[in-house]
Amino acid sequence: MSIIEDTFTLFTREMLIFKKNIGTNIARGLIFPLVFIILLGAFGSSPKNVPVALVNYDNSAASLSFINMLQSGGSIVVTSATTQAQAMSELGSGQVAAVVVIPAGFSHTLGSASVYTYLDNSQPQSAGVVSGVVQNVASHFNAQSVSGSQAAAPASGVSVVSNYAYGAGSNYESFVVGGIIIMVAAFGAMFGSGFTVISDRQLGNLKTFLTTPINKYSILLSKIAYGTVQSAFSAYIGLTIGLLYGATIAAGLLGFIELLWIILLVGLGFGALSVAMATRAKQLQTYALISQTITMPLAFLGGAFVPVTLLPAFLRPLAAVNPLTYAVNATRDIMIKGYLPIGTLVLASAILLVFAGVMVALAVFFFRDTSKQI
Amino acid sequence: MNMASANIIEIKNLVKKFGDFTAVGDITLDIKKGEIFGLLGPNGAGKSTTINILLGLLPATSGSVFVNGIDMKKNPDKAKQEIGVVTQETVVEPELTATQNLMLFGRLHHIPVSELQKSIKFALDLSGLTGFKDAFAGTFSGGMKRRLETAKALMHAPQLLLLDEPTTGLDIQNRTQIWNLLREINKKQNVTILMTTQYLEEADQLCNRIGIIDHGKLIALGTPAELKRKIGMSSMIEVAAEKDNLAKVAAVFKKAGLDPQVLTNKVVAPGGSNAVDKVQKLMRALAAAKISIQSVSMHEPTIDDVFLKLTGSSVRDQTGSADMEKAATAALMGRGGSR
Repeated sequence: MSIIEDTFTLFTREMLIFKKNIGTNIARGLIFPLVFIILLGAFGSSPKNVPVALVNYDNSAASLSFINMLQSGGSIVVTSATTQAQAMSELGSGQVAAVVVIPAGFSHTLGSASVYTYLDNSQPQSAGVVSGVVQNVASHFNAQSVSGSQAAAPASGVSVVSNYAYGAGSNYESFVVGGIIIMVAAFGAMFGSGFTVISDRQLGNLKTFLTTPINKYSILLSKIAYGTVQSAFSAYIGLTIGLLYGATIAAGLLGFIELLWIILLVGLGFGALSVAMATRAKQLQTYALISQTITMPLAFLGGAFVPVTLLPAFLRPLAAVNPLTYAVNATRDIMIKGYLPIGTLVLASAILLVFAGVMVALAVFFFRDTSKQI
Repeated sequence: MNMASANIIEIKNLVKKFGDFTAVGDITLDIKKGEIFGLLGPNGAGKSTTINILLGLLPATSGSVFVNGIDMKKNPDKAKQEIGVVTQETVVEPELTATQNLMLFGRLHHIPVSELQKSIKFALDLSGLTGFKDAFAGTFSGGMKRRLETAKALMHAPQLLLLDEPTTGLDIQNRTQIWNLLREINKKQNVTILMTTQYLEEADQLCNRIGIIDHGKLIALGTPAELKRKIGMSSMIEVAAEKDNLAKVAAVFKKAGLDPQVLTNKVVAPGGSNAVDKVQKLMRALAAAKISIQSVSMHEPTIDDVFLKLTGSSVRDQTGSADMEKAATAALMGRGGSR
């Protein structure tokens, strides 16, 4: 009689209870995404100090003046890049949110000159800020503002040619929804797994299970499996709401499957984390407090609401060790960039699998002495 | 081990310590095949700890437990198959139907799928719930839940049915139903029954033998009749009085040559060979000493009286030592003060 069989038996029980309470489960699945979409949808943040790479092929007084004006508002921070290729690679790796290119001959063609911007539309708030600043400076830029330039010329401004880095159009909805489904997945797992471990212990179910000749770890595994299902269920309700709200999945049908994969991994890891916590927390209140204290900051630091590039420097290392960061990056890539982001996907999968593995090991470690569970 | 043993349970020198606190201090006890055995004790006496070790839920500090000849420590999975458990908390899943509840436990006990339907039918018949097989257990009455749980515990045809306070919280009608069910299980299915209870008249009526545990030790063991004989076959004399007068009443008992026990609202003593004479003497002495009393009565000795005599307190008003056990457990588990 294998652990798999026992796990399946207990998992079937969880699913029967889940089915019985389907109304409550749907309601719970709806509430979170709705609240957050309404909140985040209404307040698209307007960030400061957005990093921008600037390529100046003109190198004239006029172009330097243009750059100074770009920086004067404090909304963007310009770093210069020597070639456009270098700047574009910084954009691709997420180091900067936009690239601004001032072409050669900019100062000679004032009045009919163009600058080129390349915007990372997977970070729509930042892209919006850069786009706004560049447009604003360009429309007010004229020969008079260039000290030491040639004689007064008609102030017809500079035109801006905007390019998006990724296929689909800039889509704030997709950005918001990509973050929310990961947060909802993490919350769903915490609710499904650990919460029911504690309620089962309080009701005496855990004790009764332990009096049967099952492999005791099958209890853990069934709870983690249930948390993963709960997590996918909540996330897909969230995604459905998101799609109705206006989000798109640029990767298409394949994107659905890729999203499911990421969500299942998040469910697995957070299900195991919550079970590990629940083996130690005696009271539901304690558990609820700890799980919120962990999940909320992780979701925030993972970029579920605000892009990680906009976090203050001292929080960046925390984001780098947060598994949700990678999950959120993956969902945004799938939903916004629209191509199969194999690198992000592999990185996210690897990190989430390691996280899940460590958490399962922790849960097993805590559960080896079941005399504390009765 | 010795498979042909006449005992379903053999407990030898069982000791369980939680840190410095000894919950079970050297208990040796055999439970014979086919009997209904009642384990009694005040709260915190070590009853639950003993039961938990029997169920393989707690490891013993020392000593051994054999279930139908199988060492619980060495072969817990096999030993667990010999026991059906009805825990104190009525554990039926309210969100599952009666059938689903039974199916779950059948599978947890590794009943082969081919035999599962037969086992479920047997359990439904036994519990009298065939008509409710597809109803959710959450809609059942307390008595129905208890019956379902009892039947659930018997699905894998265990040799021993262990019940932890099976009738606590049930009204008298449901309690009688459970008693009848347990008698039927014992007789017809030939299943040994080990139960704990705090209702002493339940133990008196239902059990072939009774063991009384106090402070982690087995302080009495025998048939109800044997135990009653221990305190004399005589009638018990009971005098109820105001709390302030109880000590004075007890002094008068002693003068009359009786051995009184003082409870919260009365004084009780075995009457001896000529109990009626003693009552008359007692009444005169109380009147002479001008001690006001509320009532006087006599009754045949019950297990309550045995319990009182042996443990010095009534079974239901003990909480102190239970708290001690809890505190010790909490300290050991590093969960102190979590309430």
